[in-house]
Amino acid sequence: MSVEIFKRLGWFVLLCVVQVLVLNNIHLFGIATPMLYVWFPLTFHRNTPQWAALLWSFALGLAIDVFSNTPGLAAGSLTLIGMMQPYLLELFVPRDSVEEMEVSASTLGLGKYALLCAILLIVFCLVFFALEAFSFFNWLYWLECAGSSALLTFVLIMAIESVRSK
Amino acid sequence: MRNLLDFLRKYHHWFLFIALEVVSAVLLFRYNSYQNSVWLSSANVAVGKVYEMESELTSFFSMTRANEELTLRNFYLERQVEQLRRLYTEATQDTTVTERQGLQFLNKYKLIPAKVVSNTLSEPANLMTIDKGRSDGVEVDMGVACGNGVVGVVYLTSDHYSVVIPVLNTTMSRISCAIRGRDYFGYLRWDGRDPAVAFVEDVPRHAKFKRGEWVETSGYSSIFPRGILVGQIEKVFNSSDGLSYKLQVRLSTDFGCLRDVFVINDKSIAERVQLMEAARDSLRN
Repeated sequence: MSVEIFKRLGWFVLLCVVQVLVLNNIHLFGIATPMLYVWFPLTFHRNTPQWAALLWSFALGLAIDVFSNTPGLAAGSLTLIGMMQPYLLELFVPRDSVEEMEVSASTLGLGKYALLCAILLIVFCLVFFALEAFSFFNWLYWLECAGSSALLTFVLIMAIESVRSK
Repeated sequence: MRNLLDFLRKYHHWFLFIALEVVSAVLLFRYNSYQNSVWLSSANVAVGKVYEMESELTSFFSMTRANEELTLRNFYLERQVEQLRRLYTEATQDTTVTERQGLQFLNKYKLIPAKVVSNTLSEPANLMTIDKGRSDGVEVDMGVACGNGVVGVVYLTSDHYSVVIPVLNTTMSRISCAIRGRDYFGYLRWDGRDPAVAFVEDVPRHAKFKRGEWVETSGYSSIFPRGILVGQIEKVFNSSDGLSYKLQVRLSTDFGCLRDVFVINDKSIAERVQLMEAARDSLRN
């Protein structure tokens, strides 16, 4: 149990560091920003207590916000993702699976994992950039940012996952 | 009570979710200046709209008062302008200043403001009553006009009220009108049908004009000074005997909502009428 928490904390810190020091500075074509930290709520195993999932997501979002100087943006969006993830996972999980199944490409199958990841990423990016712009005046720009960031992050996550599952 | 606790226990993560989202929203609005301004300004828009509706309502109730005060103020300002012009003329010995300003009619005419107290639109011979009479200086055969254009002629007076024959009366003595800028004149008549439309008859066939041009009083009658708006030319017909034009004019005065008018008191009416009578008498003999 405590090992679990330490592992999670380790990922937490690693993701924060990588995002803040490296990935926040990448703006491909001025619109795409990779947001690797969205992978964190993705990895909550099945039947995680809801409050734990919410608190972890909120904490990660807050940490990213504090370093990126955008208070409230990532925190709000990630809390939403943390809320959605258990429900979505139930939809994708095969019927005869372990109670506390881990979420990764090897357990779910690459296709299902990719779909789950894509859905969560798109929702996150749309909400994040909507909160950032806070108006739908430039809705085309909003869609471009959300779409391209989601795509970039998706490619990154898939790459890492395929390395991990080997 | 137990049901409530069970409910809370079952869905506690939703409350946690709402609480965390509220915290995120507070952070968002407090520390990001753009979101802060949008939040405050959208709140302000809502507040502003409520106050706007309230002020519209209260200002509507004070509208009649404002109208009366404005008419009175207008009247006094015109009096003041006339006085100043007279002083200026005396000071500079320059009597052509009024012609040059083009406002000479205000010199001769005194205006008595009045309110319409009864009015009809739908009869062939409509009559209007105003709330000024002999004691206010109104006499029979004085002209009545409003801010938008000509209204009619005073027909009967009592001490405190007068009856006015408006333009919308088929039996009315016809007002002499001219086309603005061209000076071709004719006589205004109403046919008893559309209260927004009247006809200018006896316009000579060699007259040149276009539809859309403005028609005003010509000043030839002893009732109205020159330049009071009558309406806009809509269509041109031939007269019944084919010898002149009949212009269909859209009246600029809205007789349907007439409240504030003024009576034109021309001191030189008596003199002109007497002169005209004398001329006619001498020609007849």
